[in-house]
Amino acid sequence: MESRPEVAGSGPAERLGRRVENALLGIVLFAMIGLSAYQVLLRSVFGGGLAWADEALRLLVLWSAMLGAVAASRDNVHLRIDLLSRFLPTNWRRATAVVVDLFAAGVSAILAWYSWRFVAETREFGDQVLGTWPAWGFQAILPVAFTLIAYRYLAGLPRHFRPSSPPAGLDAA
Amino acid sequence: MILTSLALVLLAVLGAPLFAIIGAGALLGFARTGVDLTAVPIEIFGIAETPILLAIPLFTFAGFVLSESRAAARLVRLSAALIGWLPGGLAMVAVATCSLFTAFTGGSGVTIIAIGALLFPALVQAGYSERFTLGLVTSSGSLGLLFAPSLPLIIYGIIAEVSIDSLFLAGIVPGVLMMLALAAFCLWRNRENRRPMAEFSWQEVRGAIRESIWELPLPVVVLGGIYSGYFAVSEAAAVTVVYVLVVELLIYREVSWRRLPAIVRESMVLVGGILLILGISLASTNYMIDAQVPQQLIELVTRYVTDQTSFLLLLIAFLLLIGCILHIFSALVLVVPLMLPVAAKYGVDPIHLGIIFVATMELGYLLPPIGLNLYISSYRFNKPVLEVCLATLPFILILFVAVLLITFIPALSLALLPN
Repeated sequence: MESRPEVAGSGPAERLGRRVENALLGIVLFAMIGLSAYQVLLRSVFGGGLAWADEALRLLVLWSAMLGAVAASRDNVHLRIDLLSRFLPTNWRRATAVVVDLFAAGVSAILAWYSWRFVAETREFGDQVLGTWPAWGFQAILPVAFTLIAYRYLAGLPRHFRPSSPPAGLDAA
Repeated sequence: MILTSLALVLLAVLGAPLFAIIGAGALLGFARTGVDLTAVPIEIFGIAETPILLAIPLFTFAGFVLSESRAAARLVRLSAALIGWLPGGLAMVAVATCSLFTAFTGGSGVTIIAIGALLFPALVQAGYSERFTLGLVTSSGSLGLLFAPSLPLIIYGIIAEVSIDSLFLAGIVPGVLMMLALAAFCLWRNRENRRPMAEFSWQEVRGAIRESIWELPLPVVVLGGIYSGYFAVSEAAAVTVVYVLVVELLIYREVSWRRLPAIVRESMVLVGGILLILGISLASTNYMIDAQVPQQLIELVTRYVTDQTSFLLLLIAFLLLIGCILHIFSALVLVVPLMLPVAAKYGVDPIHLGIIFVATMELGYLLPPIGLNLYISSYRFNKPVLEVCLATLPFILILFVAVLLITFIPALSLALLPN
């Protein structure tokens, strides 16, 4: 797992990462839109459809979910409750924010590790999707995404130590 | 076990992301029972084995594009032209437009920002008191989640494994009931001020229709398609998103191509957040069923609660509490799997339970002191939260009565269903 805790600011690396995320999200989303609309067209006009399209769409949904989750970690907008921290004094709030982010990073890292083992196992068994494609290639998004999420929470730690950390956003959405 | 649960709850209220909380719970649970922990990613991969989930990114993106356009303004103009001339008509315009807009955009906060902002000055100008207006736009912002293509109902259907089409049918009467309750209250409260906002004018109706001619077919096609069963939900989502893109980007050109990457990101970030906790909760639910948590919960509840009526009252109280601390999507994935078997024990139909769930959660958004919509409204209209709370209170009471009716008269939800 990567663990270079660098400041998540607006440097070139940050801009590049954001751009890559946006590009991948756009590609996956528009692939879903195009393919599903094409399926509807085929069904309502010709009464048929592409045999592989439904499975491809389901895999695209998984990819959009995991890529979206990575982007949500960068923007720090994952769904949360956050009832207590807004009533805590600033120092306490910083301390709990560090604990909370370390916890999120730890859980994501463990999920990344076991996702990787899951992918390695399906690779060994030679599972296939979409006809003859190896399934592990599509499942690989799980370990990759959880690794990036873990990294994101670690990389975000330094901002809690800066003098005027921005207040947390609204909890939902 | 109790200590770890407490630690997780503490981390949750301190603001840890819910996917990490649920994930930790699932990992710890499986580890304790000696199950290989690759079970967790295998369950998350279940996202790719649930076809209906496709509807979530598509509808969410379509909703975000719609809220970027001036669709809200056109919708308000058209309904004002059609029903604004009635006594108390503008208040009804507010109720109707908010419901439709929320059904299509999903997030009730968005409705307050997009439609409330248009209606607030118009209502005050038409002679409604500022306080009444504030309460009306705040509470109308959470109507509409019972109508197709509401995302919370779709997610409930996925988790509870019941037909989403049936849920949409079941939501019609309760949703209309909540709208009518608010509209009736508006009429009664403003019985002294029944001055219609304007004369009825064919010219204005024609103008408004011409302006929104491209968007008008959308609700007809989508709602008609879903309710008639011609479209599966994810097919309706595909049609909606293509339609919305063509209309807003190519015809009205109100959403610029340059804005598109940002809209894609904002909507997919929300989708990622929802689907991630949904996927992880597939794992935690599986663990809880293995560990017979629902059975234990049933035993515990049946020891203290003997009849259906007290169970339903308890359920509403619990959902209201949950509704004001949890986002509706998180609440669905966390609570529904545990609630379903218990409710079944008391003879509550799973479809009816879904309607109760969403209707009550809508109300939870408004509940002082922490309901999210109160804060969105306070922020948007620049009023103190306390003032928003007080202004919204009568509306909350009305909606609460509606929720009670929906809960205790199952026929409201189930009558339209084909056996």
